[in-house]
Amino acid sequence: MAVSIRGLSKVFGGSPALSGVDFEVGAGEVHALLGPNGAGKSTLIRCLSGAVQPDAGTIVIEDEVYTELSPKQAIEAGVAVIYQNTSLIPSLTVTENVFLGEELTRWGFVRRGTQRKEAAALLHTLLGSAEIDPDGQVGSLPLATRQLVEVAKALSRANVKLLILDEPTAALTESEAHIIFDRLRRLRSQGLHIIYITHRLQEVFEIADRVTVLRDGKVALAGQSVANLDATAVVTAIAGARVVHPPRDEVGASRPVLTLSGLSGTRFGPVDLEVGAGEVVGLFGALGSGRSELLETIFGARAPDAGRILVNGHAIDPRKPAGAIAEGIALVPADRLRQALLGELDATDNVLLPSYLKLALFGFRRLAAERRVFASAAAETSFPTALAHRRGRQLSGGTQQKLIVGRWLRSARPIHVLMMDEPTQGVDVGTRSELYKIILESARRDGRAVLFASSDHEEVVALADRAVVMKAGRVVTEFQRSRLTEDNLIQAAHLDGAEGPAGNAGWRQPGARHA
Amino acid sequence: MPKKLRGRAADFIFAAPLTVAFVVMFGFFAIYGDGFFEADNLQNVALQSAALCIVAVAIGLVMIAGYIDLSVGSVMGFSGVAAGYLITQSHWSPVWASIVGVALGALSGLVNGVLVAYLRFSALIVTLGALTILRGATFAITPQTFYDFGPGFAVFGSGHFLSVPIPVWIAAAVCIAATVFLQYTAGGRHVYAVGVSQEAAYFSGINVRRIPLFLFVVSGAAAGLAGIITIARIDAAPSGSLGVGFELSALTAVLLGGVSFAGGRGSVFGILLGVLFLGILQNGLAIMNVSFANQQIANGLALVVATALEAGSAWLSRRMGVRRLARRPVTTPVAVGREPA
Ligand SMILES: Nc1ncnc2c1ncn2[C@@H]1O[C@H](COP(=O)(O)OP(=O)(O)OP(=O)(O)O)[C@@H](O)[C@H]1O
Ligand SMILES: [Mg+2]
Repeated sequence: MAVSIRGLSKVFGGSPALSGVDFEVGAGEVHALLGPNGAGKSTLIRCLSGAVQPDAGTIVIEDEVYTELSPKQAIEAGVAVIYQNTSLIPSLTVTENVFLGEELTRWGFVRRGTQRKEAAALLHTLLGSAEIDPDGQVGSLPLATRQLVEVAKALSRANVKLLILDEPTAALTESEAHIIFDRLRRLRSQGLHIIYITHRLQEVFEIADRVTVLRDGKVALAGQSVANLDATAVVTAIAGARVVHPPRDEVGASRPVLTLSGLSGTRFGPVDLEVGAGEVVGLFGALGSGRSELLETIFGARAPDAGRILVNGHAIDPRKPAGAIAEGIALVPADRLRQALLGELDATDNVLLPSYLKLALFGFRRLAAERRVFASAAAETSFPTALAHRRGRQLSGGTQQKLIVGRWLRSARPIHVLMMDEPTQGVDVGTRSELYKIILESARRDGRAVLFASSDHEEVVALADRAVVMKAGRVVTEFQRSRLTEDNLIQAAHLDGAEGPAGNAGWRQPGARHA
Repeated sequence: MPKKLRGRAADFIFAAPLTVAFVVMFGFFAIYGDGFFEADNLQNVALQSAALCIVAVAIGLVMIAGYIDLSVGSVMGFSGVAAGYLITQSHWSPVWASIVGVALGALSGLVNGVLVAYLRFSALIVTLGALTILRGATFAITPQTFYDFGPGFAVFGSGHFLSVPIPVWIAAAVCIAATVFLQYTAGGRHVYAVGVSQEAAYFSGINVRRIPLFLFVVSGAAAGLAGIITIARIDAAPSGSLGVGFELSALTAVLLGGVSFAGGRGSVFGILLGVLFLGILQNGLAIMNVSFANQQIANGLALVVATALEAGSAWLSRRMGVRRLARRPVTTPVAVGREPA
């Protein structure tokens, strides 16, 4: 028997997130669930996992019919979910997280040793050679490693029948994604039902058997077999229109805006790099290649060990992000939920946060000016203005990302160097190509230097004028636009196999909460 | 701007359980409490709540930023007794003594703030320590009570302006200033941001140290001001009792008013409602001859019940999505959802 959903509906705050969705997954099938941001994909799976109660409709899991599920029922029915927003608890170790709520106990005491051994074995079979310390604190792991731990956690349960993955590869490079794909293929052959949500199209053709596309809470393409589809058809179904990458003008040699000379810090360096006015440079590298650490160091969130950072020819020493921002450096961080989003504040606050002080007159807000800044940021990122007063945590993942990109793209402060770590994570295909266009335009128009890191080679090829491949903290190759192809990038990044994931020490933290 | 209004409506509804309880309680006392619903008595409630209001609003700000200040009770005692000393023993003018009293409060807030925000000690521990230390310091000034500050100073505590007591004017000014700060200054938005997530605020370029430092100074100064107002009102500065337990009353009012311990949430309106709730509860019960012991029990119960109400409404809202934030009633969307597929 299969897992099937009939007429599922859910309304949030007067606007429907799902209206009458039918959906079915067969045994031994990977079913890709696609659609633009805010289409209702995550809401659908939250209905399946019991995190959200649907307003109407039925859910059938192996002969059992439910009109709503509690989280406990869902687990008993064999539903396991890997959420878009990682649900791991940062202060616990990897082992503790894997067994959270399902602790192995004897006479009520947790069997730490056994748990540790099992977690280590699980991580090993799951990840092959890559090492994750089962005793490591999850909060100190890089995002991609946490994603792998999340997978391990979901699979540690005994009776999983329906496995749901909500954008599990958003921050992974291709070779890391392949670790997950291999595992999924094996699970598929064991007869599991698998729902796979992604915004990366090539993954659909690699792993999925059938495709369903949601748009505005309705089914736009129902359970089509992948064999009968091509990429354009899928993109058209998602975006509602054809997506074309615009032609781009070349940047000539220009004065350098950002210069790194011999910069080294935690897990990277020494790095020499120049980004010119109007130029967009992509940093490509696997997990642990040091790309995020490099960006965070330039942004003042980490202390450099040696070397110099120059902006427009002046050496700077930003001791914290506020200092870097004052020098005109911005960063869209990789970890949206922890480092960027203010979940309890509304969308306008999220966009305007870095601009409030700049826009204010003697500290007093100028609401009209704020509205203008928000409107232009929303327009550039195609953020739906109807959601302006929703809280950050109530927005879909990709919509949140738009806020964070918009925050800096149209910041009221002068930004000379715009840095982005995984700039379009979770953003749908249609919006993504629009964002590329806007990022390029803003670089060219304002003479900004744009430096972004990405694990998605397609993104690097689409966005960068020049790509820099990093491995184990060093620059290994550089590709000019003319030689910038996906094959070249992948080859350069993975010549000696991926480096093991590393910890995340060396933070200049703002300090733990004291309350 | 209608969007703005909707935000207000949301704030209001968020405080709704308390609002409802407030109205019910007020109605009850107005009907059954002899002499409760009279101008004199209500003015008395306002006068007695003024000091609490000032302190509660200030520690409310601290808590919205995700910190806590427990030292306010002793700061109040210390500032009040120090001012009393200056007036009666050193024969200072009441104005200068008051200024010094408030400044001493601000100074202790500054010390708390530096320790917490810059040296990153736990706010709970630092301010608990300050609570004890300053109570000791107050006893070091005198173990007794200073009296008789002269008629000029008394005006400050019990004089009227436009037939409203001066302390009530001061409390109102504090409420307005705090509202303007939170809603209409850049700093106010930063306070919420720091309270929601220090890390995200830090990455947005907000000075996550200076904001709590500032708030601790404000809270110290406010406690000092409350101390001055109180000694002026009762014309005495009793070092054994001035401000004792005040931090807990203020905390109760703030939590009643919908500020969460976790930070990032709350409004001055809610805090004010919490203060008045406690003030009226106490006054009404006293009028109805309820013993002091039972009044205390009622205070505590009010807090627990209000928290339960809030948790209940949060649970309901989760069940219903964010419908309660929608302006129109929920009928239409449900009807759409229920249509058979
Ligand atoms: N807790 C919530 N409260 C209010 N609205 C919500 C809530 N959760 C989701 N929504 C709304 O429901 C709609 C669908 O969101 P959902 O997260 O399902 O989209 P999605 O398809 O997963 O998008 P993405 O690709 O960006 O992750 C969005 O408009 C979102 O704002
Ligand atoms: Mg989603």
